[in-house]
Formats: sequence, structure tokens, C-alpha cells
Amino acid sequence: MSIRVKGFLKDVGGASRVTKMRREMIQSASAAPQPGDPIRALADALHPGKQEFTVTKITPASPTSRTFRLEPVNGHIPPFQAGQYINFYLTIGQSTLTRAYSLSSAPYEALGDKPFVEITIRRNVSYFVPDYFFDQVKEGDVLTAAMPFGQFYYEPLRDAKNVVALAGGSGITPFVSMAKEIAAGCLDCDLTILYGSVKSDDIVCGEQLAAAERACIERNAGLIAAGRKSGGQVRVIHIMSDDPDWTGEKGFVTRELIEKYSGAAGGEKSDTTYMFCGPLAMFRAVSRSMEEMGITPRRFRHDVMAQPGNVKQIPGFPEDQIGKTYQLTVVRGIQKDVIPARADEPVAVALERAAIAIDTHCRGGECGFCRSQLLAGDIFVSPLGDGRRREDKEMGWFHACSAYPVSDLTVKIPII
Amino acid sequence: MSFYKEHYDVVIIGGALAGLSCALQLQQKGIKDILILEKHNLPGGLATSYVRNGIEIEATLHEMMSIGTKEDRLKVGVFFDEVGVDIDWLRVPEAYRFVRTAPEGGKPIDITLHSGFETMSKEIDAQYPGWGPKVLKFMELCNTVYNSMNILSVTPMSKVQMLLKHPDFVKTAGYTATEVMDTFHFPKEIEEILTPYWIYVGNPMSTLPFTIYAFLMADYFRGGSYVCRNFSHEMSMKLQRKAEENGAQIEFCQEVEKILVKDGKVYGVRTARGDEISCDYVVSAAYPNKVYTQMIEPLEEVPEGAVKMINGRRLSVVPVSVMMVLEGTPEEIGIKDYNIFSGDTMDTDKIWENYHTLGPYRYLTSICLNLANPSCTPEGYTQFSITALPLPEAFVNVREEDYFALKRKFANDMIDTYEKTTGIRIRDRIVEIEVSTPMTIAHYVGAWKGCIYGYSHSIDDHAVARLQMKEEDHFIEGLEFAGAHSISGNGMGPAVTNGRAAAKAIFEDLEKRGQMDAYKQHPAAADAMKEGAAS
Repeated sequence: MSIRVKGFLKDVGGASRVTKMRREMIQSASAAPQPGDPIRALADALHPGKQEFTVTKITPASPTSRTFRLEPVNGHIPPFQAGQYINFYLTIGQSTLTRAYSLSSAPYEALGDKPFVEITIRRNVSYFVPDYFFDQVKEGDVLTAAMPFGQFYYEPLRDAKNVVALAGGSGITPFVSMAKEIAAGCLDCDLTILYGSVKSDDIVCGEQLAAAERACIERNAGLIAAGRKSGGQVRVIHIMSDDPDWTGEKGFVTRELIEKYSGAAGGEKSDTTYMFCGPLAMFRAVSRSMEEMGITPRRFRHDVMAQPGNVKQIPGFPEDQIGKTYQLTVVRGIQKDVIPARADEPVAVALERAAIAIDTHCRGGECGFCRSQLLAGDIFVSPLGDGRRREDKEMGWFHACSAYPVSDLTVKIPII
Repeated sequence: MSFYKEHYDVVIIGGALAGLSCALQLQQKGIKDILILEKHNLPGGLATSYVRNGIEIEATLHEMMSIGTKEDRLKVGVFFDEVGVDIDWLRVPEAYRFVRTAPEGGKPIDITLHSGFETMSKEIDAQYPGWGPKVLKFMELCNTVYNSMNILSVTPMSKVQMLLKHPDFVKTAGYTATEVMDTFHFPKEIEEILTPYWIYVGNPMSTLPFTIYAFLMADYFRGGSYVCRNFSHEMSMKLQRKAEENGAQIEFCQEVEKILVKDGKVYGVRTARGDEISCDYVVSAAYPNKVYTQMIEPLEEVPEGAVKMINGRRLSVVPVSVMMVLEGTPEEIGIKDYNIFSGDTMDTDKIWENYHTLGPYRYLTSICLNLANPSCTPEGYTQFSITALPLPEAFVNVREEDYFALKRKFANDMIDTYEKTTGIRIRDRIVEIEVSTPMTIAHYVGAWKGCIYGYSHSIDDHAVARLQMKEEDHFIEGLEFAGAHSISGNGMGPAVTNGRAAAKAIFEDLEKRGQMDAYKQHPAAADAMKEGAAS
């Protein structure tokens, strides 16, 4: 059909007219180049990628852990949220190793005139890298790192204002960041930390946590005295599993203890978000408690966990593979390299041992930065934190940090 | 040691739908030596997904058009069939539900339309008795223009031929959507009901060419729309796999920084990593704005006309999207529709003004993916997103220290508006929430100013005019563009068309030079070329 409207019936010059209009629009435009893109500039400021940090202070955070203060060489740190992590690119021998650490400093400390971030590392919790930090890194050294990453942070749009943190060992660090941010009045939630250690000597960042508790009490007393609404509060409950001299809570972070401390300040039961960061064994126990308590996934958040160094802890790992070594053909562009790969180490580790760069971040299978393509052979993918997309699973793409060779392999990885 | 060959026929910057479709179209005609360089570590650009706590979340803003049913395949569906890309399409159940709250002293609108011209006109007739037949006529006009557009975009024709064979197209080409719709004298409410899709082309009705509006309306209401079972990532991965099977090399995490030009002709690219790669043709998904002001090396090779072109044309919208996983099934939450357009007005000029700010936004589109793809979440959860499409200008003064707060403000505003307009409560059910902004787009995809829609589809930058001015918009030999910034504009369907058009431009150039034979690397290519020339 045709439109039976008089005005249009005779108008057959529309195409020419709009072309003339467009030509005139372009001809009358400025000839001065405008190369600025403020939106990309802001995106780059928020995600600057690799940058250099100077180690300006190393302080003990417990007899077995240290806090490393890092100041940006270029003076700029992208804003982050308490609980997020920084990823280091460490040159050790011939290899560049990537390792992620939760930031233990508060987001507000990364802003302002003298911005810094801190990480707190406990020795001997995983192979290789902690030793490097303890033995090699000195004040004045310059390290390469990128930040911020991760989704483990308090999200007011989603989470209850009452937060119970369940921490074990060095898993306390994201909560140290949160506690400091609350104490500074920059984060509005009530944080109860149930912190499990073996003995009191093992408590990491104990002083910083106590200082945050005190600061909240003082600030809130001041606010109430001034007739204003009190802000967020922090309280820390230490739980020792093997310390005869400890007078506080003892044992593990059990359901009984979680329930005991889950109430809001008044003690009554309230809507609570639980946040977990700690070792795998503790995660399993805590997950069971959550299930028994009827806590839905919406109210139980956990940090990314690196794949366990001992593959026997990975459900379904084919134990007959332990100790075997396969041939790994690595394709980058048109280049192929053949390297050995142990069946009980992730593909990413084989690449690192062979000094082939792979950009891992979370090392728990979740984040997908080390997404790679399986061209031939078979792999075992750890079910812990499997963050692969559905189509990737069907097409044989995998995350190198959490996939283990069970035959000779050919894989394609990004050129770095 | 090198990761690249010494030379490629074509280097494609960007492994999204346009770049991958361009590669597949080039391969159809026997051009095999293709390198695709993608900034991110996966293909697809915005046609992708991400995983939060084991739940995969769709990242695109809306569904795929131009696929059609098996019986009535539309343009993109036909192309995918031809190149052998088989996607598990799921048909979206309805076109949209439109909810406009009551203005002072007026009546609210709440109507759900399904695809099929007769079906939707009857649905309108049920609420506005007597108007169905006229709505049907209007949709038939849209469909005629749509058919003409599909033919004319691939087949050049004289003006006389055009007038004889495509009179409706010719006669409406110079008018806006508002101008043509006005001639139907619909009641205001029916005009409003026929308007919601305007935002999918990102330009108010008063300056939107009717041609573009008609294309959109006919495509969606005739063929319906589709999503992939395994998210848009399925489509991107299947296009990638096919391009690789056909011999293309694809490298991820490679941002191209420079396009190397000498004496007005492209001879290679350089990546952020520092690899210099030699080639005869470059197809760029990077915006012309970026190419002509930052990427061409040396910049002296950029003609003045190119700068005037990018300065004269206006950029279209950027996305602000709140993507959520909710506790509960859609039924438990009370969500009955895949797609709801909602707001307090359907005056697109007013919404446009509102879209020049940081909100609260008055016009929202929301999608509940489960209602097209029930397997998109584990049992008992719902995947749900709310989107507004403001202009990039709104963001130029955002400071980095305010960014997280701004994202939360967007989410709060949009959830509030959605809940108020629809009466559906979602806030207490949020399991996962991510807010994407133009900065998110700029970060992952690298799109100029975070723009996802290319240049505004306005009457003074009409797709018909773009087509007519193809030659004069071409400034550097060997450089083609393929993305939302190309002639067909934005959307996943047009992205495929844009990619194919860039491939076609390369064939034409090779033909012109009589060099096509040198590029053909298998015997079938010669026949393919002949067929191409004949059609």
C-alpha cells in the first residue's frame, strides 16, 4: 500500500533533501580536531591497569605477618571498596608471577594528598610468594601492581546493615579495611567480626582492629552527646582454637558462636549479612552452619578463594594423576612452545614455571582473567569457584588458574 | 620470534559482532588471511556475559533482531545460515508491555503487544476500539519501507527505478517518524503505544527519520526478537569459532593503538604491546572520532574533511544499566513480562532533555530474561535488568571519587522509579547487583565516550544520506569502519550488517584494482565472486 496523504504523494525528493541536509551539516562543522574523551579518561583513572608502587613502610602485623605500605609512584590510586584486592606482577627469577592480596588499608587512605594502600601477608600460607615478600622486599623497593579487583565488598543496595564477618587467619584483611573505613565514618554499617585464630600470637592486625573498635565508640558517643544519630560500629570477637591461656571465646567459629553474636547491638535477632574470608576447611564448616541456620545465598557472601595447593582438597580430583607430568603445547599467535606441566598443578603454574606470562588475578577460577582455549587434550577443572561461562564450558574454554592437565595438552593463551 | 605473520590481507580492529561478521563475509569470497585484534579477553563486545557467584549474567541491553522464524528468515538469520553459524535461538514471548503512569487529570496506559502486525493491531483495537485497522495500515507501511530498505542497502538503483519499485520508501524518506505518524491522526494514546521502541535507536521521534523507525517497528513486530540460550556470549563464540575454522587468526587482550598510513593509504597497525603488523586493509570498530584524532599515524594523514565529519555528527546514547539477580521466580516476584517500557511520559523530546542529566530518569526499559530463557538462572532466581540511555554529555564532569556513589544513585533511582511505575517490588530480593555505565563500556570495549549506538539517527544524519554519501565519507585508502558508527547504525542486527558492508567495500576496492584474483586462495572463491557480481 501507499500512503494516501497529499503532502507525501508528490514528494519524491526526500532522499536528495536529507542528503543535502547532511552534507551541509558536515561542511559547516569545525575542522579543529577534538581528541579528548573524558569518559575513557575517567574509565582509565578508575582502572589504570599496571602501575608502580614504592614500598614505603614495612611493619609487623603479628609475630608471623607483616604489613607493607605502598605509595603510588605517579601519585594516583584508583578508588576502591573495602574488601577488594590488588594484583601484583612480581619478577622472580625468569618468571613474572601474578598474585592477588586483599587490601588491608581503608579506601579513604587511598584518596587525598598522600595516598597509600597496604597489604598484610602471613608467612607460609601458600607456596613461594609470601617468602618473596618476607625475604626480598625492602622499604624503598618499587613493585608493579594493578587494582582494584573483586566483588567482595559491602553493597548497601543489597546487604543488610548488620554485617557479621566470619574470618580465619589472614582472611581478616578485607575486614580490617572495612573496620577502618567504618571507624573513619566513610562506610555506614555495623560490623561484628568473629575472628578465628589458633592462638593469640596468630592474630593479624589485632591493634588496628582494636583501634577501629575504640574509634567507633568514641565517635558515636560524641554524636549521641551532640544529639545526632550514631554512625556505624565495629566489634571484634576473637576465637582461639588452641590457646590454653585465652580467656575469651574458644574453639572454632561454630553455629552457636555465630548465632550468639548475630544480633544487632541490642542483642535481638536482626536481618544480617554474613561475609566470609578464610581457609577452605573453615569455609566448608561455616557453609554448613549457614545452611543449618537457614541463611539464603543472598545473605551469605564469601571472598574468592585461591585453589588449594594440596589438590587432594579439591572435590573429584583424580588422585591417580598426582605426580604425573604431561607435555603442554602453548599457542600464542602463530608461535608454539612445548613445556612440561604437572598434573597436580594448575596450567597457570606450568606457564609460570616456564616463564610464559599469563595474567591471573583471583587464582580461584572465578574472575576469568586467565581465560584460555583448550585446543587438544583433557583437563580437570576444579569445581571450587568455577566461574566459567556456559558456552565456554561447552566449547572447551577454561580458566588456567583452576584447570589441571590430565593428558598432553595444547592450549591457546593471550599474547602478553 | 613473532606471534604474527609477516603480512595480512585484512586486519580487523575489534572482535565484536561487526568485526566477526566482516571476517565471515570476507571468507565467503575467499579472502583468508585475516587477523582480528580484540582489546578484551573474549569476543562479542557488548554481546557478552559475566559470572557472579556461579550465575551467568547477560550483558547486552536487549535482544537480537533480524533473525526471523525458520519459515520467514530475516536478513541476519539468512546470513548466519549461509555461513554455517547455528545458534540456539529462543523467541521472546512478546514485543513489549508499555506502562505510562497517568498524567494529571489524564488516564494511564498499560498494554502488552505481541509480534505479528495483525496481532498487535488487534491488541490495540481491544483497548481503543475501531483503531485496529488503521494501526494495521500503519504497520504495513512500516513493513513496505523495511522491505525496500533491505533491498536498497545492497542493490544500487536509479532514482526512477526506486520511485517505481519503492514508492513508499521514496516518499517517506525525507520525513521524521512524528511527521509520518501525524498523517494517520491517531489518538495521542495510540501514538504513545507505538513509540516505545524509539529508544532502541536512540533519537527522539521529532527528529528520527521515519525510515529508521519503520525498519525497527517492522523488524520487531514481523520477525519477533530472539535471545541465545547460552547468553549473547553463545552468538559471539560461535561467530568466532566459525571465523577461526575458516582460517582467521584472532588474538585477545590486544588493543590497537595506531593505524599506520602513508601517502593516503593504510599499510599496517601497531598494538599497545608494540607489535607492528603489516596489512593491506584495516577494518576499524574503533570510532572514527578516535581513529581520526588519535590513531592514524602520522595524524597529518587525516584529511580536514574527516575531522569535519566527526565534528558535525552527533554521538548517540550511552547505557546506564542496573543488572540484578533476584531471589524468587518471576512469578513469585510478580514479573509477568519479558520487556517493560515504563515512565511518566512518552514525549520523547521531554525524555531526551531528561537524558541529558544524571537522572532520575523518566523513561526506563526493563528486561526479565527468564521469561525468554527460563534456564538463565538456577531454579528459584530471576535475572532482571533496568536500563536508561542518556547522552554522553551528562557524564563529562563526573569525578572518580564520586563514581561508586553515582552508580548507587543510579541503581536507587531506577529501582524506585520501576517499583513506583509497575507496582512490582524487587529491592528486597537482590542477590547480585552490578551497575554498568558509559565508563564500564569505555573500559571493557574501548568505545568512544562509552557510546554504544554510534551516531544519532537524526534526520540530518539520515541512514539514506549516509548511504548516498558513502564515497565522500571515505577518507583513507584501505581503511573501512564496522561498528555502530557505520551506516546502518546501532543494535546487534545492524552490527552484523555493518560488518558485512565493510567486507563488501573491500571487495569493491579489490575489483576496482583488478586484484581480487590475487587474494582468492581457493577455487570456489572465483565462482562466489561471479555470483556476487551477478547479483
